[in-house]
Amino acid sequence: MAGILVFSDRTNLALEILTAAGVIGGTAKVLVINNDEQAQALSDAGADVYKLSNDDISLADVGQVAEVLKEAAEKLNADIILLSSNRRGKELAGRLAQKIGAGCLTDVSAINVNGDKIECQRNALGGATVATQYINGDKKVIAVSPRSFAPFAGSGGSINEIDITIPASTVKVLEVKPKAADTVDIAAAEKLVIVGQGLNSKDDIPMIEELAAKIGAEVACSKPVATDKKWFSEEHVVGLSGKICKPELAIILGVSGQVQFTVGIRDAKVIAAVNTDENATINTMADYVLTADLHEVVKEMNEILG
Amino acid sequence: MEERFDAIIVGGGLAGLGAAYTLASEGLEVLLLERGDYSGAKNVTGGRIYVNPVRDMYPDLWKKAPFERFIAHEEVTVMAKERSITVRYSGEELKKEPYQSYSILRAKFDRWFAKQAERKGAMIVTKSKVDDLIRENGRIAGVITGGEELKADVVIACDGVLSLTAEKAGLRSPGNPKDYAVGVKEVIELDPAVIEDRFALADGEGAARLFMGEVTKGMFGGGFLYTNKESISLGLVVSIKELMENKQGIEIPVMFEEFKNRPEIAALIKGGQTAEYSAHVIPEGGYKALTRLYGDGILVAGDAAGFAMNIGVTVRGMEYALASGYYAAKAVIKAKEKGDFSAKTLSIYEDMLKSSFVMRDFINFKEAPHVLENPRFFNYYPELVGNIMRDLYAVPAGPKEKLYPTVKRYLGFKQLWAMAGDMRKVMKI
Amino acid sequence: MNVVVAMKQIPDLQQIRIKNRQPVFDDVPLTFGSIDKNALEAGVNLKENGLADKVIVLSAGNEDLEDTIKEALAAGADEAFLILGDDLNGAESSVIAQVLTAGIKQIEDVGLILFGEGSGDNYSGQVGSRVAEILGWPQVGYAGAVKVEGNKAVVTRVLEDAEEVVEVSLPAVITVVSGINEARIPSVTQILKAGKKPKEIVEEDELDEINKDALITTVSNLAPESDRKRVVVKSTAELVDKLKSENMI
Ligand SMILES: Cc1cc2nc3c(=O)[nH]c(=O)nc-3n(C[C@H](O)[C@H](O)[C@H](O)COP(=O)(O)OP(=O)(O)OC[C@H]3O[C@@H](n4cnc5c(N)ncnc54)[C@H](O)[C@@H]3O)c2cc1C
Ligand SMILES: Cc1cc2nc3c(=O)[nH]c(=O)nc-3n(C[C@H](O)[C@H](O)[C@H](O)COP(=O)(O)OP(=O)(O)OC[C@H]3O[C@@H](n4cnc5c(N)ncnc54)[C@H](O)[C@@H]3O)c2cc1C
Ligand SMILES: Nc1ncnc2c1ncn2[C@@H]1O[C@H](COP(=O)(O)O)[C@@H](O)[C@H]1O
Repeated sequence: MAGILVFSDRTNLALEILTAAGVIGGTAKVLVINNDEQAQALSDAGADVYKLSNDDISLADVGQVAEVLKEAAEKLNADIILLSSNRRGKELAGRLAQKIGAGCLTDVSAINVNGDKIECQRNALGGATVATQYINGDKKVIAVSPRSFAPFAGSGGSINEIDITIPASTVKVLEVKPKAADTVDIAAAEKLVIVGQGLNSKDDIPMIEELAAKIGAEVACSKPVATDKKWFSEEHVVGLSGKICKPELAIILGVSGQVQFTVGIRDAKVIAAVNTDENATINTMADYVLTADLHEVVKEMNEILG
Repeated sequence: MEERFDAIIVGGGLAGLGAAYTLASEGLEVLLLERGDYSGAKNVTGGRIYVNPVRDMYPDLWKKAPFERFIAHEEVTVMAKERSITVRYSGEELKKEPYQSYSILRAKFDRWFAKQAERKGAMIVTKSKVDDLIRENGRIAGVITGGEELKADVVIACDGVLSLTAEKAGLRSPGNPKDYAVGVKEVIELDPAVIEDRFALADGEGAARLFMGEVTKGMFGGGFLYTNKESISLGLVVSIKELMENKQGIEIPVMFEEFKNRPEIAALIKGGQTAEYSAHVIPEGGYKALTRLYGDGILVAGDAAGFAMNIGVTVRGMEYALASGYYAAKAVIKAKEKGDFSAKTLSIYEDMLKSSFVMRDFINFKEAPHVLENPRFFNYYPELVGNIMRDLYAVPAGPKEKLYPTVKRYLGFKQLWAMAGDMRKVMKI
Repeated sequence: MNVVVAMKQIPDLQQIRIKNRQPVFDDVPLTFGSIDKNALEAGVNLKENGLADKVIVLSAGNEDLEDTIKEALAAGADEAFLILGDDLNGAESSVIAQVLTAGIKQIEDVGLILFGEGSGDNYSGQVGSRVAEILGWPQVGYAGAVKVEGNKAVVTRVLEDAEEVVEVSLPAVITVVSGINEARIPSVTQILKAGKKPKEIVEEDELDEINKDALITTVSNLAPESDRKRVVVKSTAELVDKLKSENMI
């Protein structure tokens, strides 16, 4: 069986990837770079950790990290490298694959081993389709979407040292501005009230929140509402580059329903869509369609629900 | 440097593309602005085009045109609540080349037509909506799109049934509901073999079916079905005025669902997948509701001018759009020769239309809307339909014969007496 | 210094239809990925601020590209460098990366190559990273702001939980997120002028050896099944009733 190397600078994601590695089978080793706390947590969860301590390495330098992973994979006899498909991981995947001459799949949401093929599922065509693909050849780089696998929980972990020397990074980090911590987890919410660009202004958000509170839902949004208008943090975005949500109920207000959005909500059990445009695409994938101004509807709902 | 075009065309439907193609063929600098993502993107039509009347205007166009199927079978179904009568007509004359009519999907055809116009040298810019007109010394001198001014000797308004351009130019006043119908249509995908089987079609052949009576709850209008290569166009057209006045308060989507659920229809579309749904307004006020066709520096063609009609059994607009676009271009070419784009010179457009099938059809069918409003016409005399079918469907290269002589040819004295009341009205068609 | 912007020609996703769960591409018009348009806008902004000389769009695809490229030239690119090949539309990332790199080597004085964070259709986010690796250049992904200062770029990258401001020396590869700017909509005059801007066209087989071994095999690519009720409700009250009847609220 091929050796697997797992890496993510985020402990929670590394744990998810370990579960994915388990699906593939074989022995998985986890690389931890300059992070003792992570090494401990992962080994506590039952992983075989290889700890690399080297101050010349900067996680912001993708080229350098790719070089480190290449060396580590060679040393640890791993042909398959599993990464997380968050931003850092995705960026790293392509560079590493090119470096070791591997095929690469990113945003992988499910893995199924079929004989000697590791079949991976990922969204294609902006989310309109789901492709099943596998990598040819021995060397493979697979980046796994966050929250696609449960965190790994096993026993008998270990912490080992690994030594890789490398020239200092040329990418200089000038400043890190952490985003205000956002506790919302729309991917786990049972009910969502989702607003799109049909929402007139930031001032209308309180009544959306009021509705959400009344029915016990979280508030989420389409991408432009977060990235262009900045009315919500990106944690609230539903869709291809946001979160894939599977709530019981989604009330979708003023969203046109382009594929990159709908891919994030198509697994909801019940969808109600409110849009002023009766021909909006979102209506074709809703259980209940109301052609109306969302502001009126939300006001009325808040009244009805008291 | 200020660029000035010979002509700017607003709207890239059949009228606009026809005008652009014709002007560019003669070497004029023509710019066509289309608000859609591409020509044909949102253009709704039932789906049958008659080529004969416009064949000679675009001699190079037809050989490779991406039509769907040539219509070899005509059927009319008169629907009562629980029964229906269908008459099928499949004359050999329908199967001879050149074929007189084809089913057509505009998304495909218009895009292709746009490419042909571009090859002739027309400049076509899509995703550009014209918002206003430029006036200079009391004449139209160009358009404004996205805040940008673009100038031309003449503007041709081909922006469809609710033409903003003709309205801004003061050539038309906001519409009256009685002059419009609303049409809904679905394109339903089916395997070609299934289509051929269901409609008993030989290779390349297509069927056209019309439905009247209960489908529109007795309101003026009807249903249509055309077979395309790999899909069926199914739709319903209803007069807006009658829809507004109907006591049951029934709405068109509901009517359309009921239509689709009729056993006669359900069997035809079974297993199909709806690929497209659209709704659109159709001018059908006839001759009396035409806009003014020209002004200083401006011409109006196609639906924008009101050149579509619903004679009860079928909607026609595409040939009129192609022909009026063609004549508008010819008028511009004449005006350019003279170096004068005043209303007086451009009035030649109306003269050309008057001596063509376009205006002659419109004058012949002046009264059509009002007569055919009478549902008895379909209920009393269904047998009449079969007899007059061939002549009714034949669309000659020239103007279409009046309906009256067609009808008279097939009627004995006995029926005629009973029909006298209705016939007085029919005679006006 | 010139800025190269890599843009991918893709089918207009809004117009792809699904038939028997398969995507149907017939008659679907081609366009550029929307994030690639943000990358172009970022390049044009640098030029407009006097920080770059020329903005050159680099794209690999089939012959339709000659037409599609007008969109980019109208939106402010100065020139286009096109690599045409029948099988380049939808070719895999490893092939595209080699092809684009071969193109870059033919362009003079490249200081910066801008990519979209992910292409509009595949969204795999590999091509930029692979090109950076082949060239051996530094890369910065997910840029929400790019400043050029002499032979350095200062980039604010937008990560899930933080913004990271980094400095790299040029030449470098940068991939951008859609939030970096709002791509301009070209005016009609710009569209008309686009046809006259210079285009360099290279056929794929004129390039040095490209290793075309397939690294990925696609088993299937299907639309998920969906069956929604699509009940049209007339009023808020009716909507509330329906949701209540499903025990949802
Ligand atoms: C690679 C890629 C990834 C992407 N990832 C995502 C993603 O993860 N998530 C995402 O959301 N998008 C994503 N997008 C963007 C996506 O393509 C769309 O641009 C976006 O989803 C549109 O957001 P919207 O529906 O809110 O806005 P719009 O498309 O502008 O729609 C607004 C809607 O509101 C309606 N409306 C207006 N006023 C009212 C009113 N008063 N009442 C009711 N309705 C009203 C309008 O009719 C319209 O339908 C991605 C794009 C790309 C290229
Ligand atoms: C349901 C239905 C069934 C029909 N069935 C048939 C049939 O079977 N046979 C037949 O011959 N006819 C039929 N017709 C009528 C026929 O479709 C029309 O008469 C014909 O399409 C008119 O062509 P046009 O070019 O004048 O207008 P359109 O095809 O409507 O084109 C107008 C164009 O202008 C563009 N536009 C509008 N405003 C602007 C602006 N401000 N700036 C830029 N661009 C603008 C629009 O996007 C559009 O592309 C039917 C119509 C309907 C709705
Ligand atoms: N065929 C191509 N031609 C030019 N640029 C491309 C091509 N394919 C991908 N790119 C660029 O690479 C980025 C990432 O693409 P992808 O790896 O497919 O997500 C895109 O946003 C483009 O900037």
